[in-house]
Amino acid sequence: MRDPQGFSRRHLLRAASGFAGGALLGGLPFRTFAQQAALAPADRCFVFVYFAGGWDMLLSLDPRDPAVFTPERVAETRILPGYSLLATDPSFPTTVVTPNQRPGGPVPAIQFGPAIGRMADHYDQMCVVRGINMNTVAHEVGYRYFLTGKEPNGSAARGSSTATEIVGQMHPAVPVPSIAYGIETYNDRYPGAANALRVSRAADLLLTLSPSPTPLDSEIEKQLVDLRGKTVTCEAQAYDSRGLVGQYRDARSQMTQVLGNQLHKSFSLDFNAMDPQALNDERAAIRSQYNLPATGSVNMDSAAGRAAMIGIALKKGISQCVSMNLVGGLDTHFGTQVSHATTQRTGWNALADLVDDLRKSAHPGGGTFIDHTTIMVFSEFARTPLINGTGGRDHHICSAAALIGAGLKHNLAFGAAGDINMAAGLVDRTTGRPDPKGLQILPEDLIATVLASAKLDYAITRTEPLKAILSG
Amino acid sequence: MRATLLAAAALSLAACTQKPVDPGLPAPTPAQLDPVPVNHPSIDPLPDPEAQGGHIGRAPRRISVAQLKASILTTTGRQWSQIDTLAPSLGKADFALVNAESTEANLVFAKFLEDGAREVCLAAAAADLTQTDQAQRVLSPEVPVSITDLTKIDAATAKKNLVTLSTRFWGQPLSGAELDTWAATFATLATRAQAAGQKRQAFGAICVALMTDPRFFTY
Repeated sequence: MRDPQGFSRRHLLRAASGFAGGALLGGLPFRTFAQQAALAPADRCFVFVYFAGGWDMLLSLDPRDPAVFTPERVAETRILPGYSLLATDPSFPTTVVTPNQRPGGPVPAIQFGPAIGRMADHYDQMCVVRGINMNTVAHEVGYRYFLTGKEPNGSAARGSSTATEIVGQMHPAVPVPSIAYGIETYNDRYPGAANALRVSRAADLLLTLSPSPTPLDSEIEKQLVDLRGKTVTCEAQAYDSRGLVGQYRDARSQMTQVLGNQLHKSFSLDFNAMDPQALNDERAAIRSQYNLPATGSVNMDSAAGRAAMIGIALKKGISQCVSMNLVGGLDTHFGTQVSHATTQRTGWNALADLVDDLRKSAHPGGGTFIDHTTIMVFSEFARTPLINGTGGRDHHICSAAALIGAGLKHNLAFGAAGDINMAAGLVDRTTGRPDPKGLQILPEDLIATVLASAKLDYAITRTEPLKAILSG
Repeated sequence: MRATLLAAAALSLAACTQKPVDPGLPAPTPAQLDPVPVNHPSIDPLPDPEAQGGHIGRAPRRISVAQLKASILTTTGRQWSQIDTLAPSLGKADFALVNAESTEANLVFAKFLEDGAREVCLAAAAADLTQTDQAQRVLSPEVPVSITDLTKIDAATAKKNLVTLSTRFWGQPLSGAELDTWAATFATLATRAQAAGQKRQAFGAICVALMTDPRFFTY
């Protein structure tokens, strides 16, 4: 039993006074609360896009001119672009792609491979980092290295995912701060609030955002809400005053808000006659934006569907960070150049639609969403610059990545893979040019750059960001 | 061995009281706390909340998924069908990708706990309606089986039932003004559920409220 002499009613009331606001808020009808706490997009958003399986850089971010890197010179260069092998699909160019200059935009300074698709149109929002030494040709290791910016122990990830690091530092006021879709997520030092909502399918996300499958009578539902909102005893309030219980009450408020806003409907792009016309119009607009079928059911687990989900999560103010396995099936040891290029282009086109959406959508903080969103696109490693005996390419240690959007310089190619065997070399960090006195570019350099792009603490990476590609 | 234990117990009692045990006290009963003697020195009085940033005692902690699973079974006699499927989202470590159990009460936990509570509670309440053995009733153990009209449950019976349930769910009985509040809510729920022909929802909703209250999953 507690000693009444050591814990008077006066003390209880004083302890409870700090929670008066919360108690008052809890007593408000839900509608009022929801209006006061309407969803708003985070001021800074982040997207981590993963191309699973190891991508062929020659086909997208680090091309080579087939007129220079000819089959006749293979013994010398150890590089075979293989673009001529794409000729069986006329939708692929067979040369290096120079983007068309955007109206009012800068002269393109980045060239791409034939599988870049519509993403080339966004050269003016993109910085390509080449010559990244992944230090591994093992899938899990390279993948986890890029997720955390720390080289794994064996294949075990170390540290937190970058999205976790961001949410842990920024504490965004959005209901689901981080979503990890088909991608691993780690948290080694932040409270659980920084954890990503990890889902493997669109249906999982919908389950979280959907009303309970066991509904109650509406009046009974209201009574439950009222009961939970009523002030309890002073002692119970003091018990609830911090830490986990307070977090739970916040989470319940968020849940009520999320369910009240019927966010699951936002992630369902299927026409529903029972829903308001405005919502169905919005769905039609999203289908059009992401090149999804205009009618019928939408596969939200497709690359285009996933890209649409990212856009919805950011624009609706549901999430600050979305980590997404956008496209897989790139581990083409035995595939053809066309099959790899087709898969890779599917991912780039979906990403291009997302970037286009973010460029067109006004952000409440001013400008458009792309001005508030940093996107990092990566794979676990690249594929060999030579084609193997079965027509595919094997694992290659030197890769590339794309950084898009806020806090970065654009229309810039930084770093380089060597012209012999596309080897990772040393780079002058101030210019991005090869320099025998320079340093290698490693995944942690990009993670530090992403964190620094939002003025976040990057000390956890134990490296300096690539300041030459940071804006401002 | 027994003598050693007795000696240790005597020593610990002496250390606590710093004076001989009052021979007039009743003998300690197994599984019960020893009574505190009159004039016993203060037992670690709770610190002034003002000196603790407004807090009292240590911060509460959430139970693990395994504990939640056991708690649901213990309190309702049935299991939430989705708990194993949703365990990773509720915080359970898989020791492959996640090597520490998350015991945060975050949005996902709140959402899925609500879903689970509704599934289990409404099923238990429905089963109670057909249970003619009062002792076997899970959510209405204090309500006579002869009462089929929920609006006929008097306030005293409703409170007694709430005290039983809250003790079982939280290890702490509802009391005072809070008990009155819950009893008033139950009366409203009973009236509505009876009128709507959804009698299971009256006790089911109370069960949901108990199971989603922090006192159910914290310690």
